[in-house]
Amino acid sequence: MTDTYRLAELNITVSSLYDEVHRLCRDYLSPEPKADFKVVTTQTDIDFEREKSAREDEAEGRPVQKFTDGYLETLAVYRKIAEKLPKYDAFLFHGSCIAVNGEGYIFTAKSGTGKSTHTRLWRELLGNRAVMVNDDKPLIRVSEAGATVYGTPWDGKHRLSSNISAPLKALCILQRAPDNSIYQITAAEAYPMLLQQVYRPYDGEAMKKTLDLIDRLASSVKLWRLNCNTDIRAAKIAYDAMKG
Amino acid sequence: MKLNRNFLLHTVNSETVLVPTGEAGFSGVVRGNKTLGAILELLKTDITEREIVAALQARFDAPQGAVEKDVSKALAELKKIGAIDD
Repeated sequence: MTDTYRLAELNITVSSLYDEVHRLCRDYLSPEPKADFKVVTTQTDIDFEREKSAREDEAEGRPVQKFTDGYLETLAVYRKIAEKLPKYDAFLFHGSCIAVNGEGYIFTAKSGTGKSTHTRLWRELLGNRAVMVNDDKPLIRVSEAGATVYGTPWDGKHRLSSNISAPLKALCILQRAPDNSIYQITAAEAYPMLLQQVYRPYDGEAMKKTLDLIDRLASSVKLWRLNCNTDIRAAKIAYDAMKG
Repeated sequence: MKLNRNFLLHTVNSETVLVPTGEAGFSGVVRGNKTLGAILELLKTDITEREIVAALQARFDAPQGAVEKDVSKALAELKKIGAIDD
């Protein structure tokens, strides 16, 4: 199956073995058939994702999870897209991103820290003013004008995303704490986490470009560290500080 | 020995960090002091442990034996994560 989708203002043709990825991406169909680039998956790509997932389960001490080829192919497609994005000044970033009044706020942390829980608190606090851009793996594109965050269908276990974009106003590193506090941090302080959370291409040149893009991102948005619990007051303190 | 091609050096606010590509088996980011930064810079080209020690001794004012120890320890750690090709 082959179709063309529009992600981060790029037309991407996806040619797959299974149709699951096309069901996943149906809200992102491109009106134009002409593609900026094309990705094609093979059984080898699917097997790679299965082996990678098994290795990660083993490393975490979890039982190895079984996935269908169709699901694993969705991961393979996003990986292939992410490999090509740096050439277009874009990259995949692991975080939960929410837009308020049209401006994007991205929360990042290690898996299991509570990124999704925190953006859920923002939705409870702000109601219709808050829209999920992507709960897990948004795309970010960096230009002279600044950073823009984009929704994608690869949106985490809660399936929260919208086919929208927003100028990225702030990036926040979240950590669990008994009490809530937030403060601005420097690019140097944020850098280790930014490097952990960005997709790292296999290709050396793409990786170099990604590092350059991370530098540009860090200098174009405000960076914050939030210590928070799961009380709604965590969302209020974070929003009040970050909205500026 | 030389830095493996799947590890890139990047400077952040005058600190040298070592970042693996997705191809590398290691998924962390290596940060260190000025000595480690200098070792990593030297490993951009093929070099021996003895040459690294000599270069650092010429550059840093360190007690006898300290440079050898630091270099040996750093190289062992870098080898452990696959960052060095012999």
